Amino acid sequence: MSERPDKASKKSVILFALVLSVICSLMISAAAVGLKGFQLANMELDKKINILKAADLVDSKKPDKTTINALYDAHIKAVMVDDQGKIITPGVPGSLNLYLYQENGEIQGYILPINSRGLWGKIQGYLAVEKDGQTISGFSIFSHSETPGLGGEIESAWFQKNFKGKKILNAQNKFVSVGIAKGKAANLPQDLQPHYVDGISGATLTGKYLSEGIQQTLVTYDAVSITFRQKQAGAVKKGPQKAATPAGIN
Amino acid sequence: MSEENTNYIEILTKGIWKENPVAYQVLGICSALAVTVKMSTSIVMGIALTLVTAFSSMLISALRKKIPSNIRIIAELAIIASLVIVTDQILKAFFYDISKQLSIFVGLIITNCIVLGRAEAFALANKPLASFLDGIGNGLGYSLVLIAVAFLRELLGSGKIFGFNIIPQFFFDAGYQNMGLMVLAPGAFFIIGLLVWLKNSLPGVSKEER
Repeated sequence: MSERPDKASKKSVILFALVLSVICSLMISAAAVGLKGFQLANMELDKKINILKAADLVDSKKPDKTTINALYDAHIKAVMVDDQGKIITPGVPGSLNLYLYQENGEIQGYILPINSRGLWGKIQGYLAVEKDGQTISGFSIFSHSETPGLGGEIESAWFQKNFKGKKILNAQNKFVSVGIAKGKAANLPQDLQPHYVDGISGATLTGKYLSEGIQQTLVTYDAVSITFRQKQAGAVKKGPQKAATPAGIN
Repeated sequence: MSEENTNYIEILTKGIWKENPVAYQVLGICSALAVTVKMSTSIVMGIALTLVTAFSSMLISALRKKIPSNIRIIAELAIIASLVIVTDQILKAFFYDISKQLSIFVGLIITNCIVLGRAEAFALANKPLASFLDGIGNGLGYSLVLIAVAFLRELLGSGKIFGFNIIPQFFFDAGYQNMGLMVLAPGAFFIIGLLVWLKNSLPGVSKEER
């Protein structure tokens, strides 16, 4: 053999490279196309689970597929809203995604998609607000790329549960959003405690970015929250009138 | 190594223990640091890497007489990369939760030195079956180290194994704390360093016996 047998024909090298590339790309395309259905179904299901989680309809244990779909269909309604908080038909530019949580046809709350910056990448999740338009009823994360064990703890149940019952309005009814404290929320001044959840030690930046992301989302959806608050205020005004009679008797 | 190396059991076990890719060849350290925070992710990573190494070694070995030597590395990488992408797609389709946790690391198998290392060091000089077994052996050796490291890291770092709490609550009440260092990459460095030391100081292992 000569010292470099392959060098002899450049053509054969190029041919080999070409054939190999074609075979490899065919393999990848086949896998990507063939498995796309499964992947999309998984993503869809994952989204539903997290919406349900935010609405506090499922706990951290994973129910099976049919339960999830049934629960989702029974309780969650995806709608689009405009910047005034009104429900509109899909397709209008500038409209926002919103999920309504219903119980027996009555709206119990609404769920906002969160799209926040994280330390390493995007954090996506859902924030559920009660129908009073100011109390958080749940929070969930479905996609992030934070450090496992540190920022990755935003996935964990203990962290997400802490959001429940937090207020986005302060005592003066002014918007303050909810945030993630540095350390324990209990160490904060009394008047800030309803607006902060316990932070994750070692994940200060994740907490900072996620707090900003949540605030931004709440600002974007402020009109929706205001609509809900007004509705609630209307209902409360009507409410005590009915209750006035027994109170008057006393 | 010659073409006549047909002692398949030896080929298989060599990678698992004697020439363990992490503890002996010191390859694949980056991913061993990254995915060993939890047991579940390291097991899946181990399986994925074992399959990729085995099949890429087999394919490269089958093509070893066809691959022109001047584009050898490129051709090997093309094969490895394709296999990795297919693996990633399969994980996304059937093990969605775990693929979410592994995220970028499956894709990074492409850059894992073990795969290319075995292709270069073994598959180019051996028959497909032997190369396949060599890939399996090395993949299992890698998985073994990963699982050992993950066991210690998850136990000491989060007090859990497979996500279940192992350290009883009264330990925490008594002032026990999870070791934050173990969750971070340096923790894995220490454990891997200790494992390499342990393996090479065990009698007979680093010598020619076994």
